[in-house]
Amino acid sequence: MLGLKSFGRLALVATAATAAMTLAACGGGSADETPTTVDKAAASGDIVVWVHGGATDAEKAAANTIVDGFNTSQSKIKASVKFIPDQQKVITATPAEQLGDVVEADGEAMSANVYAGKFQALDGLISQDVLDNQTSSTTAQNTYAGDGKRYMLSMFDSGLALYGNKKLLDAAGVKYPTTWDTAWTVEQFDAALKALATKDKDGKVLDVKENYGLSGYSTYAFLPIISSAGHLVMEDGKADGALNSEPVVAAFTKVAGWKQYTDANADDKAFTAGRVGLSWVGHWVYNDYKKALGDDLVVIPLPNFGTGAKTGQGSLAWGISKGSKNAAAAAVFLEYAMSDASVKAMTDANSAPPGTKSVTATSPLYKADGPLALYADGLSRSCGNEMPTTTCVAVPRTISAGWPTINAKAGDAMNSIWTGGDPKEALDKAAQAIDQDFTDNDGYAVK
Amino acid sequence: MATNTVSTGDFEPVVIAAKRDTRPALMMVGPAIILLIIFVLIPFIMAGWLSLHRVNLNSPLPSKWIGFEQYRRILFDSATRGDFLRGLLNNFVFALIVVPLQTGLALGLAMLLNRPLRGMAIFRTFFFMPVVFPMALVAVIWKLIYSRDSIGLLNSFIDTVTFGQVGPIDWLGDPKYAMASIILLSIWQGVGFQMIIILAGLQGISPSLYEAASIDKAGRWEQFRNVTLPGLRNTLIFVSMVTTIFAFRLFDQVYILTEGGPNNATTTVMYQAVSSAFGSGTRASGNVGKAAAITVVFFVIVVLITIIQRRVLREEREIS
Repeated sequence: MLGLKSFGRLALVATAATAAMTLAACGGGSADETPTTVDKAAASGDIVVWVHGGATDAEKAAANTIVDGFNTSQSKIKASVKFIPDQQKVITATPAEQLGDVVEADGEAMSANVYAGKFQALDGLISQDVLDNQTSSTTAQNTYAGDGKRYMLSMFDSGLALYGNKKLLDAAGVKYPTTWDTAWTVEQFDAALKALATKDKDGKVLDVKENYGLSGYSTYAFLPIISSAGHLVMEDGKADGALNSEPVVAAFTKVAGWKQYTDANADDKAFTAGRVGLSWVGHWVYNDYKKALGDDLVVIPLPNFGTGAKTGQGSLAWGISKGSKNAAAAAVFLEYAMSDASVKAMTDANSAPPGTKSVTATSPLYKADGPLALYADGLSRSCGNEMPTTTCVAVPRTISAGWPTINAKAGDAMNSIWTGGDPKEALDKAAQAIDQDFTDNDGYAVK
Repeated sequence: MATNTVSTGDFEPVVIAAKRDTRPALMMVGPAIILLIIFVLIPFIMAGWLSLHRVNLNSPLPSKWIGFEQYRRILFDSATRGDFLRGLLNNFVFALIVVPLQTGLALGLAMLLNRPLRGMAIFRTFFFMPVVFPMALVAVIWKLIYSRDSIGLLNSFIDTVTFGQVGPIDWLGDPKYAMASIILLSIWQGVGFQMIIILAGLQGISPSLYEAASIDKAGRWEQFRNVTLPGLRNTLIFVSMVTTIFAFRLFDQVYILTEGGPNNATTTVMYQAVSSAFGSGTRASGNVGKAAAITVVFFVIVVLITIIQRRVLREEREIS
């Protein structure tokens, strides 16, 4: 049906496309390391890549760029992208053999997904170089406690800290720390809030992003407090005596006391409009904050509740489904996705802390003298799933297949405390509910 | 009926007649019966089965018979029953306040909008609009109205009319106000629906009755009591019954505005069933067994209430 004229134009387009592909392939080839294991060299065929459908447009574009780049960098494997809305619910409801070969999923859900038999271990499939290049925090998040193996790889991570408005802090005469090891003690943080409040019209000087809503976010934003108080949600398989231990109760009693200084921030402009001097939030608001405050924007570690200042960590990560019929090809793709070029494309798109050491070192935002170096420093010192020490900083969401329950119950407790409930009562109730759920599920032990 | 007309002692035609009637009847109710079985009966039987087992989403563990353990935890175990009982209490409080208030308000609005006035369609549309909007959208808007800081719409309104005497109130975060806030929003959103039904009922009352009443020198109040209310009896019974069922289904606004908080002040049975199984917001939970047990208990309670209500408020069936 094509006329001669349009056929000629089509040929021209095709030639141009081939030329572009060849160029891209050369570029990709030099940045990427050649696969090391034998089966991967022989890998070929089609694979499907499931990408988180809630990603921003920029992240989706980056994902498409990475998959296109992969397809043009070699000719044996063809990857296609599928954006999955509400992806964790879909993963939960889909049998392993119907999942994509490569699946992007919440890092916090890794243990639950592995426990449910949805993902396969990457050790042996992925080259050791790629595994070793993951940062301390992403390695911790992606290692399954049941067998000590890696199940996911991260292109990017997340972190928590305080953003400060230098003008307001200076006006109130508040001195602020800039490293995790010199973080404010709870008393110093208290004093800073009081000093800021005396200079403030309505006395609301802190923002904790109440506008994000209570669910999910509270266990991310406030979980580091438990570790900073020297405990974990569960110790020796029990939440009772850990989550509701005396130091944790004391810490949350303090936090509840800060609500009187907290701006409800319904319009999400508390910090950018200069209504508050401190904002307890993550790396992701940096661009907006920088635009609003310019050189007055400072990054301050979260306060130290006794066992060192802590930050949150964790974000979306990539794994290979257990039911994949082409795990070798999926592994080749995953290695490509973790190459410097891919990780850079993704983290340029979302400004998140890179999940690999090599890209972190050269990231304009997160390198040693970058404006967000504090995040990268914290993330390079993950506490893992161990008892927190005074020197470790990044705290992953509890690495356990029971995390969904912990998340729900600890989240309820934090919300209850924030809305005026008794901290001891709320944490006791959560600890009992978590322990009951673990008993019901035979401790979420590996079969 | 067919049997009666053909009962002349001849046996054969009776059977044929009965058959002729039964087959089309079955065919006609068939689709409804099949749908009811698929969407009501089977899910209900499954809920009963699930409630007696340990069933968790995303778990490789096989389901395990645990008997009435979930029911014991929900209803009797003093360590765990608090949530469910509080939810039930909240449901009753909500229904007790909303049903009379919303029905009364709907009646008032309907009478107001039943007058011959130019552009009445516009007024009716205006009052009916909140019903058309999905609750999810309405709740998000009301979240801004109820914001606890002084820039919240409601707080800044109160601040203005009281000349700053009444400080900003934490509408959704203070246990004293949270349920009241949910009730206010629910009435605003739901009243239009009842209003439309009552409006239809009002228009079904024959104008001649009012004419006769005014000839008998009945005042407006007497007309309302002796003509309007009796004329609306069946409508009002229907409206209050539906509102009661709606009240017990309270979920959307709670899920979006408060997630049952603060301290369970706005939790409802429906909310607990859903959040046990699917979590709230991004928090997954996956305890299907517990959720099923909650729904079974709740079903029994709602059926009982409906039966009692039907007994007390008997509809008058007209025979004409």
